[in-house]
Amino acid sequence: MKLDPKSIQYTSTHEWIHLEDGPGGTKTATVGVSDFAIQALTDLVHIELPELGRTLHAGKPFGEVESVKAVSDLYSPVEGEVVEVNASIAQHLDLMTTDPYGAGWLIKVRVKSGGSQSQLLDHATYKRQCEQAME
Amino acid sequence: MNSCRLLHHEPAIGAWNMAVDEMLLERAQQGAAPCLRFYGWSEPTLSLGYFQEYQHRTQHAASRNCGVVRRLTGGGAILHDRELTYSLILPPKHRFAEHRDELYRAVHGCLIEVLRQLGIPAELSPGERADDSPGPFLCFQRRALGDVVVGPTKIAGSAQRRRNGAVLQHGSLLWKASPAAPELPGLEDVAARPIALETLKSLWIDRLQGVLGCPWRHNEPLCEKEVREAEGLVKCRYAWENWALNRGRGLIAVKIPFDDADGS
Repeated sequence: MKLDPKSIQYTSTHEWIHLEDGPGGTKTATVGVSDFAIQALTDLVHIELPELGRTLHAGKPFGEVESVKAVSDLYSPVEGEVVEVNASIAQHLDLMTTDPYGAGWLIKVRVKSGGSQSQLLDHATYKRQCEQAME
Repeated sequence: MNSCRLLHHEPAIGAWNMAVDEMLLERAQQGAAPCLRFYGWSEPTLSLGYFQEYQHRTQHAASRNCGVVRRLTGGGAILHDRELTYSLILPPKHRFAEHRDELYRAVHGCLIEVLRQLGIPAELSPGERADDSPGPFLCFQRRALGDVVVGPTKIAGSAQRRRNGAVLQHGSLLWKASPAAPELPGLEDVAARPIALETLKSLWIDRLQGVLGCPWRHNEPLCEKEVREAEGLVKCRYAWENWALNRGRGLIAVKIPFDDADGS
């Protein structure tokens, strides 16, 4: 999987989300952290991700990452159940840096039908937000 | 112009100190004004970085009899005793909230100016090359970019927690070496002369006001609701043994054996 950053959506808290249709009309969301946020974090040293089956709620933390003594919460863009966790990440945090929209993905969530969802930004809007943050 | 709340709190137990900081971070997420808080510790206390393994405290025998609390912020363990402790809490959209390293540099840069004014040649550490090892157990035996050092000695460091755009920055300035961490010299040990901590603090506050860009709002005690929220965090988190052990993640509490080889 290698996603085009212009074709996916983002949260204001710097997670990206890619939605795919699943069986029976379900949707599966792949979630990661944007390249902008990863570049700002630098030198990742630790990450904790949720266990399989955990129920996530939109806008609520699903994990935590530490870099240079700063612990940041990661927020779920959608409500649903964790169906897959990237098992490589904990041992290879560099994947988040080198391939944030591919091998650096974090979790997959089976989206709850009719569940809550964070406000999602398209690439252009997210990019503007990042540029404003840099000013 | 928005004001910045300035709090000076009496020494308290570790669980209370950490709970007040988290309560202030929660309020900052809801848009509360920036807050700078100075506080002390009623007894020497070991604070663990958020992700540190509790069992690793066995690496530090001198602090074996000290109470322990787990911080919300990252980094290594700190033995809080003869030091100046601060927390700085910023709401989302504050000019320093988005930029991790700029906030470290802003606060530490002001401290360095004050220390130089007092004749102490402090500077920002260039840091050490990061590798995969967890690093020394004690924060003050690590060197990160932006720590405050005097020669080879780290005398101040900070760590952060970032939630929903708000940030809590914890920091410690070592004043004198503690019997519970005698290997870590403080400012007076490095300067080889007395340093008036209240004078230093006052000068630091003055400079921070200029950098943060808002006037201080003094003498505003915690309101009843804030106290209640902090008390709730003490009960549900910081005074809970399993929070210190493993952040309450379901492991069974175990007695940690200490190595008595050094007879301490």
